[in-house]
Amino acid sequence: MKGWWHHLRSSLRLHFRNRMALLYGYLFPLIFLGAFWVLYRHDKYPLLRHMGELLTVSVLGGACFGLPTTLVSERERGVWRRYRLTPAATASLVASTVVARYFIVLTAGLLQLGVALGVGMPAPEHPWALAVAFTLVAFAFIGLGLVIAMMADNVPAVQALGQCIFLPMLIIGGVAVPLESLPVWAQHVSAFFPGRYAVEVLHQCVTGTGFSPLNFDLLALGVIGVTGFLVGAKLFRWDAQQHFSRQRGKAWLFPILAAWIAVGVAAEARNRVIIPDTTKPVVAAAPVVPLPPWAHLTSKDAEALDYDLPPDVGIVAPMAGPDQLPDEWVKPQLDNVRIMLPYWVPSKGPDPLTRVRHALYVAAVPDAAQVPTEAFVPGVVLNYLQLTYPKDDLVKMLTWIASHPDEGNPILSTSDLGLKAAVRDPMLVKERVHYYAVKFVAKLTNHAY
Amino acid sequence: MSHKVVVRNLKKSYGAVEAVRDVSFTIEAGEIFGLLGPNGAGKTTTLECLVGLRDADAGELEVCGLDVRKRPRDVKEKIGVALQSSALPDQITPREALKLFGSFYREQTEVSALLERFALVEKADARFATLSGGQRQRLALALAFVNKPELVLLDEPTTGLDPQSRRELHVEIERMKQEGHTVLLSTHYLEEAERLCDRIGIIVGGTIVATGAPHDLIAQSSSRQLVTVVTTPALDPATLAQLPGIDELKVQGTSARFRTTDATATLAALTQLLQSQRADLIDLQVRKSSLEDVFLRLTDTGDSTGQTV
Repeated sequence: MKGWWHHLRSSLRLHFRNRMALLYGYLFPLIFLGAFWVLYRHDKYPLLRHMGELLTVSVLGGACFGLPTTLVSERERGVWRRYRLTPAATASLVASTVVARYFIVLTAGLLQLGVALGVGMPAPEHPWALAVAFTLVAFAFIGLGLVIAMMADNVPAVQALGQCIFLPMLIIGGVAVPLESLPVWAQHVSAFFPGRYAVEVLHQCVTGTGFSPLNFDLLALGVIGVTGFLVGAKLFRWDAQQHFSRQRGKAWLFPILAAWIAVGVAAEARNRVIIPDTTKPVVAAAPVVPLPPWAHLTSKDAEALDYDLPPDVGIVAPMAGPDQLPDEWVKPQLDNVRIMLPYWVPSKGPDPLTRVRHALYVAAVPDAAQVPTEAFVPGVVLNYLQLTYPKDDLVKMLTWIASHPDEGNPILSTSDLGLKAAVRDPMLVKERVHYYAVKFVAKLTNHAY
Repeated sequence: MSHKVVVRNLKKSYGAVEAVRDVSFTIEAGEIFGLLGPNGAGKTTTLECLVGLRDADAGELEVCGLDVRKRPRDVKEKIGVALQSSALPDQITPREALKLFGSFYREQTEVSALLERFALVEKADARFATLSGGQRQRLALALAFVNKPELVLLDEPTTGLDPQSRRELHVEIERMKQEGHTVLLSTHYLEEAERLCDRIGIIVGGTIVATGAPHDLIAQSSSRQLVTVVTTPALDPATLAQLPGIDELKVQGTSARFRTTDATATLAALTQLLQSQRADLIDLQVRKSSLEDVFLRLTDTGDSTGQTV
């Protein structure tokens, strides 16, 4: 026990002296954090939705690269051979190496968490559950790291093997690229890698509901971790001259494979693999009874609108064509509109017609105020509407708005959208809303004006 | 008196290769025993079986009265080992390494005493990567002493060291003897074995071919002296061969080399021969038989390349 404790302290001390290890262990996770922060800079709460991914990347790096690199380079140098000449049990030295590695990934995770809190992420919802989940994730990946260390004959082989596991998990395993943005086949593949379960359970602890004791993710990670440790112990080599290719007991790799496949199959059986894409328009699930008045409109009503409109290039209700580009200095405001519109308070609410009308105000106010963004905002608004509503419904609602110009209570300023425009006259806004509603209908139905 | 080490009929194969065929020897307390042999003779394998790094295929192995194959852990408590090619992590310091390895044993030597003893005080807090070859070797020896060992095993301790470091190490090993340690060392340097060891075992092709004190081995091997003579012009080999007591004659240009059982008679006859042939004597050497001769004769299996002499 005394030897175990000394070896643990020595392992940690040597780790913190090794510049390369620090680079991989701490700088790397922070670079990922920075990249995610930039990539998802428009999230309402910075990094909150990505903490699961970020922590998983840290553990993966420390466990699948850091641990085997240390173990294999020590074995190559004859350090483990030297340990064998002492009465210390090899298992206890491996145990202290593993515990040291857990501390290392834990510190990397805490560093990430600290930095994330520093840039404005709210505190995790379930810190204790997070600690438990993190420990289990570390357990699963450290087990994997042990197997890599026993399969690799030298440090370059660790890199090669590690990448074989690291990259697929990052790209199609749900660790760096969100699962919902992946094609269905990739989501199926991801079920057979432990990465997604790590991300899921960590994510639940950071921002969701925590986990129940019989959580599938935890179970999957536990199974993968136990087989990793078991097989790592069975294949253990202390001598650099014992090459993996000549090693007996390679059949022990099958339990690992079996565990991964079993987890994937179980996940498929429980129907928990495919994530519905929330970015696509959601069609009303249950029929709304009674139907709102606009829903009774038909294409004839759309046809009957007055298409005698001011031209797109004029000063009334302008709309930039595809060949027109906004000036650099107005671009940020357009970006604001594009990003904020879905979250903008008046564009939410129970009634879709009101929501569409509010979106039209966003196009109408800059036009009425004649600010430099006026020609470009309508395009952004139309784009948003198209993404949010089925085309038929949208045409009907726009037709209704166009033919009922007096309805609604116009907003007169778009400054809370980050778009500098304000007017005094509600009638002016109503008039422009009418024009844009008709123009949008025309564009959606390919009608000339 | 009980033996410190008993090796009896040790056998070890790696697949089809018989690394150790049949090795037997014993070492007494306080003795320095050298395992001498060319590369690949089985020295390292014998040592590795003895320290429990490898499982012997057959044979008896006993260290300090304990069966190595049954109680490896207890044996390891009692021995100190410095093997070839066992390095330490680059970032560790000698002080830390000694403390760490000491913690693995029930009995420990003071780290400061070891640093002092092996002249590592100045480098006590330097990283392993910055140590010279000699310093690393001294640290390896110091590590072998962390547990106050009853038996010290050194596998080719001076291989790859510069002459200065090698001399220092020889002094160190002689000191171990003075302090009463029992030492088993393997080497392929003859002068090292001759200088340091009380007894040596010569190992060739996985078998011990001779055991004994170096001077006894030399005495047993041959009482014949080696004569080298260089003349101008060259002497006729046929005439030379008729000198009294001469054997194993080899002539190469103006130089002739042979052994004799009676140096005085041979040299008297040689002088007469030189006079009668009117040949000038350029060089003449008479040398007693050495460990080198013993070694070469024993290891002469037609392929004695590799040994450094």
